[in-house]
Amino acid sequence: MRQFWQSILHLWEAKPGFKAAAAYLMLLLLLALSLPWLPLPYPPNYLDLAHPYLPPFKDIVHPLGTDGLGRDLLSNVLYGARTSFMISVPVMLFATAIGMLLGTTAGFFGNDSLQQPRYSVLFWLLSFPAVLYFAVYLPLQVYQLEMELTYIILPVAALTGWLLLMWLLLNALQRFVPFLKLKMAIPIDKVVMRLTEALTSIPRFVLILALASFIPPSLFMLSLLLIFTIWPATARLSRAEMLRIKQLPYFEAACSIGNRPFQLIWRHALPNLAGPILIAFTFGLGGLLTLESTLSFLNIGVPTSLVSWGRTISGIRSNTSAWWLVVFPGGLLSLTIMALYTCSYYFTQVFSQKGRR
Amino acid sequence: MLLHLLKKLLLAIPILWLLGTAVFLLSRTLPGSFGEERFLNPEAGFYSKSSQSSREAAWEQLQQKTGQHLPLFYFSISSAALPDTLQNVQPSARKEQLQQLAIKYGNWPAISAFDLQVEKLVKALEIYPAKGASKSLQDLRYSTNISDLQKAINKLSKLGTSPAVASLAVAVSEKIEALNINQSSYTYLVPRITWNGTVNQYHHWLVGILTGDFSTSYRTSQPVLEMILEGIGNTFLLLLCSMVVTLILALELSILMAKKKLQWLRRLLLPALFAIDSIPMLVLAILLLVLLANPDFIQLFPVYGMGYYQPINLSFWQNLSMRLQFMALPLIALVLVNLPYITNQIYTSLQASLQADYTRTARAKGLPEHLVIRRHALRNALLPIITIVSDFIPALVSGSILIETIYAIPGVGRLLVESVMARDYPVLVAIILFVLLLRMVAYALADAAYFWADPRMKQKTA
Repeated sequence: MRQFWQSILHLWEAKPGFKAAAAYLMLLLLLALSLPWLPLPYPPNYLDLAHPYLPPFKDIVHPLGTDGLGRDLLSNVLYGARTSFMISVPVMLFATAIGMLLGTTAGFFGNDSLQQPRYSVLFWLLSFPAVLYFAVYLPLQVYQLEMELTYIILPVAALTGWLLLMWLLLNALQRFVPFLKLKMAIPIDKVVMRLTEALTSIPRFVLILALASFIPPSLFMLSLLLIFTIWPATARLSRAEMLRIKQLPYFEAACSIGNRPFQLIWRHALPNLAGPILIAFTFGLGGLLTLESTLSFLNIGVPTSLVSWGRTISGIRSNTSAWWLVVFPGGLLSLTIMALYTCSYYFTQVFSQKGRR
Repeated sequence: MLLHLLKKLLLAIPILWLLGTAVFLLSRTLPGSFGEERFLNPEAGFYSKSSQSSREAAWEQLQQKTGQHLPLFYFSISSAALPDTLQNVQPSARKEQLQQLAIKYGNWPAISAFDLQVEKLVKALEIYPAKGASKSLQDLRYSTNISDLQKAINKLSKLGTSPAVASLAVAVSEKIEALNINQSSYTYLVPRITWNGTVNQYHHWLVGILTGDFSTSYRTSQPVLEMILEGIGNTFLLLLCSMVVTLILALELSILMAKKKLQWLRRLLLPALFAIDSIPMLVLAILLLVLLANPDFIQLFPVYGMGYYQPINLSFWQNLSMRLQFMALPLIALVLVNLPYITNQIYTSLQASLQADYTRTARAKGLPEHLVIRRHALRNALLPIITIVSDFIPALVSGSILIETIYAIPGVGRLLVESVMARDYPVLVAIILFVLLLRMVAYALADAAYFWADPRMKQKTA
């Protein structure tokens, strides 16, 4: 892991292109985080109806002009950056975590390394619908009706009791029925791969559009949706990397010492995985920024009150001569994406060379 | 070869079915159905002149017409405390009261008896109005707690109204008492599975699709298939043109860049492509629109749509040239967005095959460089290109959605966005099925292209 940080540090010192891109990204992030404390003349959703479509550099109060409803462009652009980061960074982090977890397990265990006795497989199979009913369906119903918390706690308690009972029962049963004691392989690789195939068989944008029409527009639901559609890419990558690492001599040595699977993945495989994952992370972040602004441009899946670059850009539809509505947010968006791609490019140079060696 | 293709297509059918089913079920289970807010929201503009009851009636009629009142699947699982009929209670505030009561007190017969009695009381109060009754009535209708209900009914009976109302109020308070005594608070923890038979939304939908009937749109009541067929021509024209142009440009550019003499071009082109790549399609398309189709800057192209007002009797070429005018800007946008990635891929693959031994042999023979590249290196670089192209189709489809929306081209992509906005599920599900089908066909075609480009493949499968 130390080597990983050192190579990034080395990049920072040796490559001015990387330095510029990374510094820009960090500055933007810092700016976005510190926005609420900055003295901006107008909040982003304030409607200055006396000055609609004010061109930029004309008025000192609205340095970048205003949109059709008199919203100040400068604060909209800055807050748009904040929204973009607030959506895309957590989404990408979660998606990467999920993808890495599933991908590395699938790659590590393959189709027949994960052996479990039949009774515990049976237990998981039986508990799945119970979890769906008690921990998803009932709480959702209660949540929609805005009832007290006790009505959510009760099903969860019932679920724990039921699961405990079932586990004890199956445990007792397996002593008398030898059939349940036999071990069977769980084809975890197949399961994960089929899942990713199913999710990627529809173009991602189409899938997101379709799913966004089902959910009520809110930031949280949109983030969940994005995570749900993005993790397969990381899962595939980390599975492939895991398969490669599994062949390396040092990893075989670590296996033969008798390390546990968790330790093998966490201590021995992960530092080697970090480089490719980082490349995919920065690259995916750029794609996510695009996706977010496109969705808010189309006004699908996001609340209308959400300040974002896409919303500002969509103002051009009602007045095509208001070029500043596109140039400023669009320029900042492109610049950010270019910085991300530049980082990704330099990471590729460093980390994939190492992989080949 | 044909057998192989057929097998692939047959294998795709279960995936198609599974994904279609998943999308269909998801579209119906998640809350908020088509037109709900438009019909039932009293503040919504167009329907606001009507009364609450007529709105509900219209809503119910729409549900009946579109078959949304039927159960969703062959079986349904719900809490034992919640009856099926509850779904059809309107307005939603009353439905919520009944649902909460059902979850809290479990005993549905008692709750429904109470509800019927309240209904009678409301009707009686309309005939013999009493002062100050409305507040208690409101409580009776919407509060979800037995003690609150009792308080409300006590207040109401103390008002001293006509005897008919008083007796009904007594009956209501009896029902509340009965509910209080016979409550079973844990019933809602028990699941209940009901079998619906073939009279369900999913069955109707599946049978419809298998017989080629994709049902009608909620929004326009037009057959879905007709709507898609209307748009498909424009979308295909756009996709095909942009794919061909992109591929030709990418091939030529990478051949140029591979030449030794044109190193300066490479140094210029690669960063330029990188820069274009980081401009999102949204920004690029709108910038093109603002710059090139705008009287304030340069009015080169017509702005929107595909030209609605054209003379009918045009020859094919005239028609095409008319269309191309409108297509030019969307085409440029699509090509520019996809060009960097494709060029980069082709260039990398061409570079790899330029390093290979057969290229060196060709060079040693004394062939001029352009012939070496075109005849020897390119053919071998084609194999990865086939994969790229078949992977490229989904990106193109997603791209055309945005492009069609921005440039207002009446195609499938715009139809998709419109039906997403209106929650027009029949159209949505049909378009997704159609996109899936397109993708399967693309994969099959890519397989066929592999056979054509690489003779070794034939031996492997034979």
